[in-house]
Amino acid sequence: MSATITSGKKKLKLVGTRPVRPDGVPKVTGLARFGADYSLPGMLWGKILRSPHAHARIRSIDTSKAQALPGVKAVITSADLPEQEFEYVGPERVAVNFWHMTRNIMAREKVLYEGHAVAAVAAISRTVADEALRLIKVDYEVLPHVINVEEAMQPDAPLLFEDMITRGVEPAPNKPSNISKRIELKIGDLEAGFAAADEIVEGSFKTAPVHQGYIEPQACLARFDPDGQAELWASSQGHFVIRALTARLLGMDIGNLRVYPAEIGGGFGGKNVPYVEPVALALSRKSGHPVKIVMSREEVFKACGPAPGSSMTVRIGVRKDGKIVAADGLFKFQAGAVPGSPVMNACMCAFSPYDIPNVRTVGYDVVCNRPKTAAYRAPGSPISAYAVENVIDMVAARIGMDPLRFRLENIARPGTPTVSGPKHTHEGFAETIQALMQHPGYTAPLGKNQGRGFASGYWFNNGGESSAAVHVNEDGTVLVATGSADLSGTRASIALMAAETLGIDYDKVRPIVADTASIGYSHISAGSRTTFATGIAVVDACKKVIGDLCARAAMIWDVNAEDVVWEDGCARCTGNKAGECEPLSLKAIAAKRSVTGGPIVAEVSVNAGGVAPGFATEFCDVEVDPETGAVKVLRFVAAQDVGRAIHPAYVEGQIQGGAAQGIGWALNEEYIYDEAGRLTNAGFLDYRVPVASDLPRIEAVLVEVLNPNHPFGAKGVGEANIVPSLAAVANAVSRAIGRRMTELPMSPPKILKAVNGEQ
Amino acid sequence: MNSENHTRHGSQVTGVKAPARVVFTGDFSDRYTGGVKEFEIEAKNLRGVIKTLDELYPGLGEHLEKETTVAIDGEIHEVGYYQPVRPGCEIFFIPKIEGG
Repeated sequence: MSATITSGKKKLKLVGTRPVRPDGVPKVTGLARFGADYSLPGMLWGKILRSPHAHARIRSIDTSKAQALPGVKAVITSADLPEQEFEYVGPERVAVNFWHMTRNIMAREKVLYEGHAVAAVAAISRTVADEALRLIKVDYEVLPHVINVEEAMQPDAPLLFEDMITRGVEPAPNKPSNISKRIELKIGDLEAGFAAADEIVEGSFKTAPVHQGYIEPQACLARFDPDGQAELWASSQGHFVIRALTARLLGMDIGNLRVYPAEIGGGFGGKNVPYVEPVALALSRKSGHPVKIVMSREEVFKACGPAPGSSMTVRIGVRKDGKIVAADGLFKFQAGAVPGSPVMNACMCAFSPYDIPNVRTVGYDVVCNRPKTAAYRAPGSPISAYAVENVIDMVAARIGMDPLRFRLENIARPGTPTVSGPKHTHEGFAETIQALMQHPGYTAPLGKNQGRGFASGYWFNNGGESSAAVHVNEDGTVLVATGSADLSGTRASIALMAAETLGIDYDKVRPIVADTASIGYSHISAGSRTTFATGIAVVDACKKVIGDLCARAAMIWDVNAEDVVWEDGCARCTGNKAGECEPLSLKAIAAKRSVTGGPIVAEVSVNAGGVAPGFATEFCDVEVDPETGAVKVLRFVAAQDVGRAIHPAYVEGQIQGGAAQGIGWALNEEYIYDEAGRLTNAGFLDYRVPVASDLPRIEAVLVEVLNPNHPFGAKGVGEANIVPSLAAVANAVSRAIGRRMTELPMSPPKILKAVNGEQ
Repeated sequence: MNSENHTRHGSQVTGVKAPARVVFTGDFSDRYTGGVKEFEIEAKNLRGVIKTLDELYPGLGEHLEKETTVAIDGEIHEVGYYQPVRPGCEIFFIPKIEGG
């Protein structure tokens, strides 16, 4: 079941309908080509040797026996990748330090987590490659390790980097630590704010690292030619970014590397950066053969970044009339083996849904002996929202207000400042709360051992650089090429927007994802940006084509171009000769392509701004089994402001997917390490993501408050949905058992302890 | 140090009556402007703002272009020279946004 609540809807023919996705048939018939499906003549198999230790110094690596094994064509270590300068470059929130990145791709002085790549081989078969890995001798000096974020912050903790001085602290500390960075954001007067509060509620919370859980492991095929030209077929969220990072890590010019986008079997942020691509290309460069690498599921868990674990404390002050007057948040995030957790996002998003005059957020980015974290669906925001929305729930209970009414009384509106400074400019939050208040489940009675939890969330959404090309074929069909990886059905939304703009049928538009040599730069499909930003490029390109078609119609009719308009997919003459000129369809004009000037093509690149954020509010009913501690989710309703839903079915799918991942994060998912710092549940049998039988039908409520900065009013829809889910489940469980649960996942043993009063 | 001490006139500007209020967030100001977070700058577009700041703090312009997203009267944009700057508007340079 789903519902749609729309404001300001204008009449559209195609946008807002639910046609079959253009990439659907190849995917359900098994013909779609993912990263592992590419092959070339003479291809070798690449395999990676990984560290068995959580933390160790590499004394030496002896590859001689592996290199001598028949069938082995190349062996590489970090010595085959150029050293990188130690410098944080790029945006502060997601700054990249290539000195760290190259060490994460292939360990140098030390291994920093179990599964850290140490060497790689290319051989004529996977069997030979595996045998070669066993012949590589690595002499390790095993070091003490640290996994937990609080322990990693202690002064006597084992240091991953002996010279790491915390950034963001003045004066700079004189001793190294595992704390890479401290962040502080604030507005107003925190002390005065809490002094004005009638009630102050504080809570401390912990979350476990969780994996994105994409079905397709990382995979690629690389070919490096003797002239220095290279090609790469890879599954990623952005082949232009994979090209740039891989070229940098191998010391290549970007222009010498062409990357072809494979279909992607899930990413959720985990495929924004390369893992196997630089290794495969380095092996190809050394062996002179194409090289394919396909990760196993165990490698994905042990070497590819999860979302960070965290330790957090949130304090909120409120007046008796329900007005929040102060909020303070402390967020400690595990970065994994090298710096770069999304703790900045957490600090910026935490209190953003609310109008609070006095706010402070403090964040710590902390390295520890586990894989480097990667982005995961609204990176950082679900974690801080989990802590904040728990405390919001506690505050509402303390002052005796309905939890949705309490949120509604404190929502941010246009003009409300955020903790990072800019004021909100878009509506949409109140509508998500009101949608749930109107839902019949909001007041439905609950049974024994059942609880209902509410939560809200905020995500920035993103715009940025995108390119699109529109080619009109001579039979009136249209090809739309973009540079944006399709993670979620964006080809369907792009075809809908193109067909709507041109006034032609949806099935006359063929949308494709073009490679890095065939379309202009397009940033990664992340931040819920593709339908918004790439959609603007597509619509602008279609408008350029329409201008060209009108000019050609004017030529055919021998009238001035100003006397031609485009309506309902046809050029129409509006001047003195209007009565003499029959409308010309796109197909009719395309048939006269040659005599009116040649191919009809337009390419547009944009740096799209005017992004509207995403707000979501959700509620969840659960039943807790007091005998086993097991939680059954009975009902889950998710309302999200999506702007215009270009393809409502796929928007609903995004909401359902985000909620499902949030439920897994809340109830089951965690990395379990043994005493030696080795991951013991690196597979889907032991790392428990929710399956269909675990979940109720998730009800998606589409709230459509249009974004005036997009031609159809679209907002990003892929991430805001997961932000409240953890807290909605946690609040429901806490209300069901009558005790506040403060640590994720809320697995049965933890719930039993709480039920038995042992927490 | 208050913002009045840092009023500058963008070189490309003519006839602008009210300066824009320009604000840095995060630890950006600590790194590049000695802690000064607010400026009043007259300019017709973002190029003028960045140019003026780069004249005040040589090298800052490049960092603004590469490392920040800009919010002009709350609307968030990628940093682009062409973004118009309305007299009296509020401009925040904030950490660049990336998602999952």
